[in-house]
Amino acid sequence: MEYMYIVFVYLQAAAAARVQEVREITRIERIGAHSHIRGLGLDDSLEPRHVSQGMVGQLSARRAAGVILEMIKEGKIAGRAILLAGQPGTGKTAIALGMAQALGIDTPFTSMAGSEIYSLEMSKTEALTQAIRKSIGVRIKEETEIIEGEVVEIQVDRPATGVGTKVGKLTLKTTEMETIYDLGNKMIESLMKEKVQAGDVVTIDKATGKISRLGRSFTRARDYDATGPQTRFVQCPEGELQKRKEVVHTVTLHEVDVINSRTHGFLALFSGDTGEIKAEVREQINAKVAEWREEGKAEIVPGVLFIDEVHMLDIECFSFLNRALENEMAPVVIMATNRGITRIRGTNYKSPHGIPIDLLDRMIIVSTSPYQEKDLKEILKIRCEEEDCEMSDDALTVLTRIALETSLRYAIQLITTASLVCRKRKSTEVNIEDVKRVYSLFLDESRSAQFLKEYQDEFMFNEMEEEPMEVTA
Amino acid sequence: MASQKWLEMIQKAEKKCIIEDGKQKVHYQFSPAEEMVEEYNWETGVLIRRAWRKKNTFGGEGQWDVEIGDPETRFLNLNQVGIKESSSAPFVSRRITKTSLEWRIRNLPYPLSVYTVKAEPESKCITVRTTNKKYFKKLAVPDLERAGLLPEQDKIQFTHKHNTLIITYQKPPEVYGLEKKVLQELKKIKPCKEGDMQCNPS
Repeated sequence: MEYMYIVFVYLQAAAAARVQEVREITRIERIGAHSHIRGLGLDDSLEPRHVSQGMVGQLSARRAAGVILEMIKEGKIAGRAILLAGQPGTGKTAIALGMAQALGIDTPFTSMAGSEIYSLEMSKTEALTQAIRKSIGVRIKEETEIIEGEVVEIQVDRPATGVGTKVGKLTLKTTEMETIYDLGNKMIESLMKEKVQAGDVVTIDKATGKISRLGRSFTRARDYDATGPQTRFVQCPEGELQKRKEVVHTVTLHEVDVINSRTHGFLALFSGDTGEIKAEVREQINAKVAEWREEGKAEIVPGVLFIDEVHMLDIECFSFLNRALENEMAPVVIMATNRGITRIRGTNYKSPHGIPIDLLDRMIIVSTSPYQEKDLKEILKIRCEEEDCEMSDDALTVLTRIALETSLRYAIQLITTASLVCRKRKSTEVNIEDVKRVYSLFLDESRSAQFLKEYQDEFMFNEMEEEPMEVTA
Repeated sequence: MASQKWLEMIQKAEKKCIIEDGKQKVHYQFSPAEEMVEEYNWETGVLIRRAWRKKNTFGGEGQWDVEIGDPETRFLNLNQVGIKESSSAPFVSRRITKTSLEWRIRNLPYPLSVYTVKAEPESKCITVRTTNKKYFKKLAVPDLERAGLLPEQDKIQFTHKHNTLIITYQKPPEVYGLEKKVLQELKKIKPCKEGDMQCNPS
């Protein structure tokens, strides 16, 4: 009897360990502010569906984005600028990210915030140039070394202390041979992300470390577990594991720049700091790329540069952009701002959106408008789903009211906190009481301002200035 | 003819040579993107080492690709390369002796009866197979290709000892002749003195 019990406990522990492992593999990405966005939510005739792919409402702006998307996909027009203008929390970043998703992974999409260019290591224009060159892809055929085989075993050992580097071994085979490979940390992570397991046929690009799963091996076709209807069966590869293959790569101009700036070498790509790249190197590469294009070896893939909070750029950057957009290699630049008529950074002049008129003149402007109550409810519902939080209908209604009266971002904050409160009282569904509780615990911006007005005398350095302070979102 | 082409390539290349520790070291620059180094035993004129380096498409400096001699040990950080063969995996090193072309495949623990070595003239290579399906390799024979020859089965012999499979291919007279012509070509280069450095060492 006791023996049975021990066996039972052992099995339970093993099962628990397995469950934990599975969870770790599936939940690698964290939930970000815009991780529910999967596209622009348009149909084939570019008409926006009301709720689709994580997008809600904002129909005219999304339609406009769809038209721009077509322009980008055609790839003929270089150096256009688009400005997304609208109040805080009206979905400007969401639309830009939706466009990125809709373009797919083969079109370069660089996302940056206007304030990112201010660095002590790099001049502002260099940072902008790098961002621009990161947004232009070159599609070229290249011979690379790939490893192609069927996975026999993946073994990952974590250090006993829980921290430090993992050690991984991957055994691959073809019909003729079998080899054991040592894995680096990044490779272990991407193998887990791809959920590669024994019996899968994979190819690994040795230069880029990109893993693609071709399918499951026919020899495993009789394993009745874990084969969904979409499972594709392929033959175990033949011959040698390592092959040289011509593959079509899309690399960005920036990557080519980095490879060719001798002082850094291509490892700089991985370590992240690249420093300034000489103008001569760039000129050489432009000439080379033009040559490839003429010979028909390469194709230019103009991408998108998205600059969020574009009012944070200063007058020098704006005039640089003016000039950079005229280059035929320029990408499509999408900017977003939540400012009205305000001072252009670096000057004393005021201008709409804090952008000089001459640059504004070169842009097409898409505006977003505040959400309606109905839309807010849909967005909150989508966020609840994204955060794995179940919410009762009346709680959702209350939360929608809150979003309408304060801000959408505040209401989204309350989802997370309310679901934590709900979990503490061991319930699975968030109800009105939870929402009320967190509403009283956490102040929104206007209540906080109200509070400060009432009690400002008791705070330090409380001499209020005469003119009203500019409120940043 | 293939052998003529190789000889021409050698003649046209920008060559530099130095004699050091009883070895003649030659550097060939075929084109801006392609270079080769060779090391010859100064006394016997036997090639000890030959390595190639090509620039990749985007202009980055490639790694030395060793054709003859022991492969270079690479102390690469595993986290930078991502994936590499485990140190216990078999690896090939090539040698040339006076009479034969040789391959040594180290880290192969299986007995001699497991291996089959076959000349494959259609694909211009020699294949090594194992009956236990643990190892397979296509060995290219660049020396034969340069002389315009195809591999022949009856010139192949192989033995196995100390975890190493040794494959010997009897050197055809054409290859021998070509090597001799190249050596004559190399005799013409004036070797740099050890003092002839291009830059002043600090």
